[in-house]
Amino acid sequence: MFLSTLRLDDVSAGYGTRSVLSGINLSISPGDICGLIGPNGSGKSTLLRAILDLGVTVSGTIEVCDIETSDLSDNQQARIVSYLPQNFNPFSRLTVAETVLLGRHPYRGRWAFDSSLDLEIAGECMLETDTWHLRDRIFSELSGGEKRLVLLASALAQEPKLLLLDEPGSSLDFRHQLNMWLLLKKLSDKGIAMLISTHEVALAGRYLDSVLVLANGEARAFGKPVDVFTTEILSEVFDVHLHVSEDSETRSWIIVPEMEK
Amino acid sequence: MTASGRRPSTGFWVLLILAIVIAGVFSLMVGPMGDPPGWVVFRLRLPRFVLALLTGSALSISGCVLQSLLRNDLATPYTLGISAGAGLVAGSVIISGLAVPVIGLVAAGTAGALLAVIAVYALASGGARGEYGATLLLAGVTMNLIGAAILLLFEYFSDASRILEIVRWMMGDLAVIGWGKPLFLIFPAVIGTLIVFSRTDVLNQISQGDDLASTRGVSVRRERNLLLIAAAVLAGSTVGAVGPVGFVGLIVPHIMRRFVGADYRYLVPASALGGMLLMVLADSLSRIVVSPAELPIGIVMSLLGGPFFLVVLLRSGRRK
Repeated sequence: MFLSTLRLDDVSAGYGTRSVLSGINLSISPGDICGLIGPNGSGKSTLLRAILDLGVTVSGTIEVCDIETSDLSDNQQARIVSYLPQNFNPFSRLTVAETVLLGRHPYRGRWAFDSSLDLEIAGECMLETDTWHLRDRIFSELSGGEKRLVLLASALAQEPKLLLLDEPGSSLDFRHQLNMWLLLKKLSDKGIAMLISTHEVALAGRYLDSVLVLANGEARAFGKPVDVFTTEILSEVFDVHLHVSEDSETRSWIIVPEMEK
Repeated sequence: MTASGRRPSTGFWVLLILAIVIAGVFSLMVGPMGDPPGWVVFRLRLPRFVLALLTGSALSISGCVLQSLLRNDLATPYTLGISAGAGLVAGSVIISGLAVPVIGLVAAGTAGALLAVIAVYALASGGARGEYGATLLLAGVTMNLIGAAILLLFEYFSDASRILEIVRWMMGDLAVIGWGKPLFLIFPAVIGTLIVFSRTDVLNQISQGDDLASTRGVSVRRERNLLLIAAAVLAGSTVGAVGPVGFVGLIVPHIMRRFVGADYRYLVPASALGGMLLMVLADSLSRIVVSPAELPIGIVMSLLGGPFFLVVLLRSGRRK
């Protein structure tokens, strides 16, 4: 068994010569959910892309399940880490079942067709994400929230130990947003570790085990939500006077900009 | 509980192959039989039939590849300037008046197509991140216009007989005497087809988005380059052999999606067979309409394909 699912040691990252992130340290244990919070352009997506080796220049050490990612082949890494991106082809004409089955790619040889195991796992992932009833629908004809869930099912079909999610709840309404977080919580109970970039600070606080706050490409704070979600830290990071209070009744945070004087 | 994707039945494949066989027999028999009939069938029509099979499947497979890579069901082998490149180089060879054998035209078409793809690709790589697809399309369209203009310039300075020859070639021509053309086309067609057939699962992944494909273990950059080269070889060699025949690469994958769905593991083989069938049928038609004379295949195909393309455009517009 490994101690940490994801470990970053002094990681810096950027595009070409442009540096975006520097000196990031982070450790996520199996089954933990870590939030990635910070203003637009603070490097949240870049950090996820750095871990996934998606066209980012990286220095420092990145380990998943105690193995350096540079020692893993593309296929090996795809069996450990999966990703829910913000950018995908929304016009895909594949059915939902076919889309979920694509997550089985790292387990298949060339020219392979779907094995009964592939079909079984894809079925489970659809049940888990509540997309089973959509299985014969065409992906491009789904709503935005449904597409997100289907891609999450396909990410789960990779049987990941670590799931990276880039703003999974953005542009979802209250109910769908809540369902998304409940689903992620359920998955974490099964031992999947997660790193989630999000702007839903108030709601996320309820479900996150730890939070990494990024500002200008550097780690500003790291810790439990209760230690990090303070008026001082959030106001400074988001560069706006925020009023932060914990709501004991819902165990979440109320974060609003202060009245302008 | 399990749910699989759509999967065409065995009956579908059998029917498709049967249709090609019947269309083939028909195309061997149709038209006037000069004497001796054996010579007409085995030296003229059989090689012509084989040429139609090769070009039809090559153009359709090439269309599938580009529709996946560009994530656009309206992309064709010609979208990236492949025809312009092939046409420019092969056309220049014709205009130069050099007595090149058929293999020269096939090679020239392939080389031109590859050059065009490399040029378009290099242009697009310089574009902004994330705007990749759009830049690729724009560069391709531009390449088509430039290629056509240069070819016209060459024509302008050529004498009448050469112009006639090039204009006739641009109309598309499946007519052959003997086995030269189909035999030379077999090599690029088979190589390109094998490259694509062994990567239909990669086509599925790339059609979802580069990031998703990459995180599932696909070496996107390398696979895309290989697939682009295969698409260029397939379309370029075809253009060199029979001239730029349009619409096949667009229509066939579209029709086949109706039957087998969008999974490229089934769509590519189905399109290959569908392309064969369409090309053989269009060729038979081109010989029937004004019999005993014949119409150029490119014109027949465009007259069939043009209206089809418009219907597709209108319908996809309504869906959104």
